[in-house]
Amino acid sequence: MLRLSTYAVAATLLSTAAFAGERGPPTAECPQGVLTLTVLKPLNNPPTPAVVKAWEGQNKCMRIELNEVPFAQLADKIAVLAAAANPPDIVMYDGPYTQSYAAAGILLALDPYLPAGVREDIVQPTLDEHTYQGKLYSPGTQQTSLALFYNADMLAPLGIQPPRDVDKAWTWDQAIDAMKKCQKGEGDNVTVWGLAPSRFGAGTPGFVYRDLLFVRSHGDPKAAPDSDLYKTYWALARDGRSAQGWINNAVAIGGAKYFADMFNVAKITPKAGIPNAFQDRKACFTIDVSYFVSGLTNNDPGFKWGVTPLPYVRTPIVHTGSITLGVMAKSKHPVEAAKFVIDVSTGQIAEDYARASRGLPTMKSITARISELKEYPLNIFVDQIERYGHPRPPSPNFAQYDKIVSDALRDIAYGSDAKTRLDTAARQAQPILQR
Amino acid sequence: MDAAGKLRHWATVAVFVGPFLGMLILFQYVPVVAMLRDSLYDFSLLNPDRRSFVALGNYLTLLEDPDRQQAFLVTFVFAFGVVATVIPVSFAIAIYLNGRLPARAIVRTVVFLPVVTSVVVIATMWTFLLDPSNGLINNALATLGLPRGEYLTSKSQALPSIIVMMLWQQTGFATVLFLSGLQGIPRDLEDAARVDGCGPWQRVRFVVIPLLARTTVFVVVIMTVFSLQAFAPSLVMTGGGPEGTTNFVAYDIYALAFQLQMPGLASAVSVVFMVIVLTISLIQMRVLRAKGAE
Repeated sequence: MLRLSTYAVAATLLSTAAFAGERGPPTAECPQGVLTLTVLKPLNNPPTPAVVKAWEGQNKCMRIELNEVPFAQLADKIAVLAAAANPPDIVMYDGPYTQSYAAAGILLALDPYLPAGVREDIVQPTLDEHTYQGKLYSPGTQQTSLALFYNADMLAPLGIQPPRDVDKAWTWDQAIDAMKKCQKGEGDNVTVWGLAPSRFGAGTPGFVYRDLLFVRSHGDPKAAPDSDLYKTYWALARDGRSAQGWINNAVAIGGAKYFADMFNVAKITPKAGIPNAFQDRKACFTIDVSYFVSGLTNNDPGFKWGVTPLPYVRTPIVHTGSITLGVMAKSKHPVEAAKFVIDVSTGQIAEDYARASRGLPTMKSITARISELKEYPLNIFVDQIERYGHPRPPSPNFAQYDKIVSDALRDIAYGSDAKTRLDTAARQAQPILQR
Repeated sequence: MDAAGKLRHWATVAVFVGPFLGMLILFQYVPVVAMLRDSLYDFSLLNPDRRSFVALGNYLTLLEDPDRQQAFLVTFVFAFGVVATVIPVSFAIAIYLNGRLPARAIVRTVVFLPVVTSVVVIATMWTFLLDPSNGLINNALATLGLPRGEYLTSKSQALPSIIVMMLWQQTGFATVLFLSGLQGIPRDLEDAARVDGCGPWQRVRFVVIPLLARTTVFVVVIMTVFSLQAFAPSLVMTGGGPEGTTNFVAYDIYALAFQLQMPGLASAVSVVFMVIVLTISLIQMRVLRAKGAE
């Protein structure tokens, strides 16, 4: 009880805290005064100081004040600040939450502020993720997708050469076979795992961004819309309002069992996290995002590594989406805040940031101008996004769906019965999705 | 006391008591009233202004919802497990520390150390210890040729694992309480029992335990309340899983309000939980007073 009271008080204090930007006194250069826009962002994430400095250089009468929180606290903080009288002008939030925030009236639709041609230039998965009821709430600051990284030094003696072309991507059966061959030790004495444990979310199995793909890949978007194959592929009703029959049909249950077998039958990956398992040569393969390329390039792990497209079962699919910038609906400076978001997401600043970070832009024109994105290994991520990338199932209640399904997949990986657990997840999610 | 004196007296009272009273009202009672009000509404934290009055709807949901019922059950089993293990272990250690035995100071420090360590640090440390693949506990068991455990990834072992962690953490505090109780027992009573022919076990059974009844009930109350408030183990170690077997009510309230965006239902769970905890505490306190009067 004390704990809940503490949260309530923290919320009260936060709701009265001054986050909103303010305009300073007039100066010779800025007769209307220097406007300070406030940005709430997760620690160690963009917009970087270099991006802010570049934008301030182009906008002499505006300043950006960055307020940072640990990523794990970001959603809670936004939820609390959303109700405040003076929230920040701009938030860097997790992209799949766009519909939740838009439906709650937290975010400002950016359509009136978008220059001509920008909307058409945005890659489709980003548009799908950041559009709600026809309005665009963020152009997307960056994109990501997952691929399979491998330790080439470990695979070479085994004669295993993973494909580099998305058209020749492995199936998961082929990938698991390679992982079994590469794994050293078995039972309780594994020294090198076939596949590293997930480093996403809480570091346990089940995180939707990574592990729901094992289920969705069992589906087929070309199947009849009322079929299990179709529903499994989308994993949530297309309007985001129903999970019943979409995550717990026979095909989806089969997919969840396939996922669980990696832990309990093939035993090629552990149930608990091992920090830096791939870099420390405790795993032959790991599933990670495009930024991992930069990480391995800048911090040489001491072995040859490579990237292969994410394997699939029936249909190739990768989840897209990343953190992104949006304007708070309560901002008192919507024009200026929207300008910042659009400039750093779509213009030269976005291109400079993409080159520096090796990140994947959301603008097709920027991607076309960066030669490194057309070359191995980053071309794999770009090709995947363009050809079969989809956002995590969009819904005004994605956050709740994410928690419920992640917990279910975690339990299934730990050994719970897939049908029982997915039925429970559908029961838990259904009333929330229909609110 | 003249009028000016009374005024000075009450001004002094106001200066010393006022700030605390104001803080108490602001940080304890206002949130409780807000919680009672919120429990009658359905809304989201993302937009709390859009709320609909559901009267006792959240309470009815709570009664019918198997997940909420499981959270209450898990919490009470956990509290019982902690109390049932901490009391005998801490009592035994207190008896040891109360004697003139070797390494007493070291043992006292070692036993008390977990009490002053952050519960989040402890939960993180035990997560590594209980790792089924690379954890220290399983490695030690393997070295001894014993079977490994699944611990936090097993729905039958997760709750007992956390109870063991809590036993390790809370034993020091309970031991200190028992120790203070033991040191309050007049030495001549034990001497008299010894003269009457009582052995060590009989002296504990017929002298120490009855005289420690008040301390014991106090420790039971404290441990029960601590256990019912458990939050960090769910948040840091298990996320409430597997299959809700470590979904303590305090964590359930947090998840409902902040992750599932159902603060109305979370408030209803809080109200019911508050009533239950208060009832348990009142019963235990009544027993405490009764024992103290004997």
